[in-house]
Amino acid sequence: MKLRTLSTWMLRESRGAAGRFAFFVACLAVGVAAVVAVAGLAAGLDEGIRTEARQLLAADLAIEGSHPLPAGFDLAKFLPAGTRRADLREMVTVVAAPPQGGRPGRSQLVQLKVVSGGYPFYGRVETTPNRPLAELLAPETAVVAPELLGALGLKRGDRLKIGGADFRIAGTVAAESDRVSLGAAFGPRVFLAATGLDRAGLIGKGSRVSHRELLALPPGFPPAQLDALAERLRNALPPGRMYRVETYRQAQPELRENLKRVGRFLGLVALLSLFVGGIGVAQSVRAWLAGRLDAIAVLKCLGLRPREVLALYLSQTALLGLAGSLLGILLGAAVQAAIPRLFGDLIPAALIRPWQPGALLRGLLLGVGVALLFSLPPLAGLLRVPPARVLRRDAEPLPVHRATVAVALLALAGGLYALTYAQSASWLQSAQFVGALAGAAGALALASWLVTRAIARLPRFSSVALRHGLGALARPGAATLGAIVALGLGVLTVLSMSLVERRLSRELGRELPVNAPTAFLVDVQPDQWPGVHALLQKAGALKVDSVPVVMARLHSIDGHTVDELTRERGPEGGPDEDRGRRSGEDRGRRSGGDRGDRNERSRRWALGREQRLTYMATLPKDNVVVAGKLWSDPQRAEVSLEKSFAEDLGVGLGSTLAFDIQGVPVDLVVTSLRTVDWSTFGINFYLIVEPGVLETAPQQRLAAVRLAPGSEQRVQDLLAAGYPNVTLLRIREILEKILRVLHRIGLAVRFLGGFTVVSGIAILAGAISAGSVRRGREVALLKTLGMTRRQVATAFAVEYALIGLVAGAIGAASGAFLTWGLITRGFELPWEPEPRTLALSVVGAIVLSIAAGLAASVRSLQRRPIEVLRAE
Amino acid sequence: MTEPRIDIRHLTRRLPSGGRELTILDGVDLRIEAGEFVAVLGPSGSGKSTLLALMAGLDRPTEGEIRLDGRPIENLSEDELAILRRERIGFVFQSFQLLGNLTARENILLPLELIGAPEAKTRADELLAAVGLSDRGHHYPTQLSGGEQQRVALARAFATRPPILLADEPTGNLDGTTGRKILEILVDLRNRYGTTLVLVTHDPAVAALAGRRIHLHDGRIEREERSEVGDVRSDAPSDVTHAPEMAATSGAPA
Repeated sequence: MKLRTLSTWMLRESRGAAGRFAFFVACLAVGVAAVVAVAGLAAGLDEGIRTEARQLLAADLAIEGSHPLPAGFDLAKFLPAGTRRADLREMVTVVAAPPQGGRPGRSQLVQLKVVSGGYPFYGRVETTPNRPLAELLAPETAVVAPELLGALGLKRGDRLKIGGADFRIAGTVAAESDRVSLGAAFGPRVFLAATGLDRAGLIGKGSRVSHRELLALPPGFPPAQLDALAERLRNALPPGRMYRVETYRQAQPELRENLKRVGRFLGLVALLSLFVGGIGVAQSVRAWLAGRLDAIAVLKCLGLRPREVLALYLSQTALLGLAGSLLGILLGAAVQAAIPRLFGDLIPAALIRPWQPGALLRGLLLGVGVALLFSLPPLAGLLRVPPARVLRRDAEPLPVHRATVAVALLALAGGLYALTYAQSASWLQSAQFVGALAGAAGALALASWLVTRAIARLPRFSSVALRHGLGALARPGAATLGAIVALGLGVLTVLSMSLVERRLSRELGRELPVNAPTAFLVDVQPDQWPGVHALLQKAGALKVDSVPVVMARLHSIDGHTVDELTRERGPEGGPDEDRGRRSGEDRGRRSGGDRGDRNERSRRWALGREQRLTYMATLPKDNVVVAGKLWSDPQRAEVSLEKSFAEDLGVGLGSTLAFDIQGVPVDLVVTSLRTVDWSTFGINFYLIVEPGVLETAPQQRLAAVRLAPGSEQRVQDLLAAGYPNVTLLRIREILEKILRVLHRIGLAVRFLGGFTVVSGIAILAGAISAGSVRRGREVALLKTLGMTRRQVATAFAVEYALIGLVAGAIGAASGAFLTWGLITRGFELPWEPEPRTLALSVVGAIVLSIAAGLAASVRSLQRRPIEVLRAE
Repeated sequence: MTEPRIDIRHLTRRLPSGGRELTILDGVDLRIEAGEFVAVLGPSGSGKSTLLALMAGLDRPTEGEIRLDGRPIENLSEDELAILRRERIGFVFQSFQLLGNLTARENILLPLELIGAPEAKTRADELLAAVGLSDRGHHYPTQLSGGEQQRVALARAFATRPPILLADEPTGNLDGTTGRKILEILVDLRNRYGTTLVLVTHDPAVAALAGRRIHLHDGRIEREERSEVGDVRSDAPSDVTHAPEMAATSGAPA
């Protein structure tokens, strides 16, 4: 057939099928929209980060670490003449308003940023008054975030106590272009000058400070040599100290890697709604072809070859797929445009770039691909249409090679796998995803088959409506299978997403264990401890635990220096910053993720971190020795290691760890390994040293306190007034911040899952209206036989309710199963059944199903019987 | 000697029905020469339509042989059969079988486009005129009366001037007057193009127009009659009003 004839015929074939086509297009568009929205957001953010990379780094090159550059390291010798340098330090501390009428002023945990030199070299810090930061910052001034003023009841020009000194608030800061944090920030920003920090006296008392050396290269420096320069610096810096050298050309590799991971996960959720849409596509193609059987027989009779018929309808499908994808692209872009509103405080609007050509193309290809793949099985049926139908309606279908059917199904399976790979970029994940999908769809299909079989064998009910409604489901050829599978998958997605989120929220929002501390005090100096302790007692602290903390660096293991070991274990990967900034104790490094990658990072982190040692004679109750014996070697200084930390270090019983404790070498031998129950929120350490070794070393105290509800703020205020260098970390507050982020992510995922439910419902409605001719005939007949419209509607409602019930029940059951796996295996949390949520989702599926079903049957219900019967 | 246009030998068609085999056609032998007008008569279930379907390659025989112009067709593939139909066979059906989403003119264009005929549109317009529907070409089938739809079907059947035309109860769904008009046009077009016409009917009056009448009963040819009318080579009267008088000679059950 000539192309022109084909296109003419295609146009003619589409006449009178507008409704059907609209449904096809809608099914596809919803899924494509979800895919485009996710891909566009991910690519847009990536592009935003890359193009804004200099602003995000505020420099051409930065050296980061938990230490200042080593003494004697001559940075200038590596840099071209004319390079500008700026020094940044960041730390968490508590600031306070001045006392009022003898009572301490209100206090607040903040993120302090100390700047010197020309910071920021790129991008800007927006301040009020609108003047350069360097002009606003003087030894006795601070620039703070507006939220801090609100929290402390202060205004510009007021005094603010930071550490041991008072500062004047010279301005507020609305935005910093180099502050991107997708996680929870510890508190509002406070800027100080380096001279200001000296006045505050916060440094040198063991506070955890992160250092960043910012470099702006002279204008003539060739960008291509930047990476080489970074590499030279990396090699020159001592590897054991875990310095990280970053250039704007790499553009936030960790942030981007994390975004990519989130993007892939959301991409799969979006793909699921596209696949569910595919079921709708298959169904509408099947219904469309069912209505065209006579015409197809005529065409064959007039001499159209089977493959020409196939080509005609396949190209028609491709065209519709294109239309659906284009519409989906528009919808997806619209969704993207709305994202800055939803996530404005997590993602800076400037970083979101809708209209990513790559995302649009991806939506187009996936959309057309899904349309063709899901249409293949029904289209293969075209080959079977007997031309003899023109003479006899009951002519038997033409025999078709088993191979044709097998090829169609194989193409479907392989195609789905390929499309999934396109989204996830991982063969294993794709296999798991397609496998799980096939499993769920199979379970749903099997269930619906069993139900129809069971109904056919059911004893007859006395209620006409009930009997008829049930009977309609069991009738051969009822288009319920697709609807049940689609709706069930929708229920599965939304339910499992919400179950996971609820479970995690509960875990985080749970009342802390009885006797668990509610706050940690960090950076307490030994001489401050008696005073701090008395203060806590006076404020009514219910329980106070404290331990000494000695900061140290691991120098070597069994004679091999950490520098050697780090180089041995591969040059790639940086420290996981979050880990280095845990709240005063060594907790919670366990969560799922990419194991191999994570293990390697864990090892490097374990070697290079700033080691926190404590000493005690007996272990806390939540520690259990699992190997060796505590303090069993009278000859040598002993250390007890947490088991997984020992694995990360690659050491066992008998290994010797050589530490550098602020210049003094100390050798410790591992004589026991412990497990720790981190969920008690007690103070726990990876490294515990036997008493009598570290008592004279420079140290500070870490305290865990259980405060009466509501007294935390007052204690913080009192501490800030009396011991300004002490930082109080409130566990509840931190958990709530994490909860808020989690909730937001959950919302996004459920929003995407919602697409799946919408598709499922649309498919159900589509299946019902596809059968509207048959249904109209049925209604007419029932009415003629004396059934009232109400009875007919009831019969229909029974049928749809049953569809909803099966889809809801199987969807909920498989959703619960999936969630159980995720919760118990992925998050390693105990499973908590949620019968109410499960029941609610089943009821929801039933209600939606009845509503969609009756809405789709309104026309058949309203027609007068004679109209239908006459048309017969 | 030239090959007969249609040569059927010992044609048998059996269908499975409720676990048993139902014999629809049982060893039919039939030769139809080029230009003949043959009516196939018989009560419903006698195998008339099946015979027609087998001649067109729409169905496959269980046993026996069908040759069109000497070429056996029972072993041709679906594709080859499709090509054969588009080039050599026209159809007229009882239920018209127009494509509902095409206009009258587009329905006629369809077979012409299929063979890639030059000047297809002019040809379609000529045919519309020949069946008296010049002003209704842009109407869809649902906007036409039954008689008008069948006229469009006739125009479509003759569009490619096929050597063979198979008609299945062409007047079965029409009232008497309209039916007669349709037959008039059918016979007229056949005469004009010299088409071999096989017409299935259970109406003796319609069959009387044919030069040869085959009576089928229970899948077998019961008897055969010939008359001078209906032969292309004879000067067949196109005036069908003669038909009822001739019906008396057929004697077939209606």
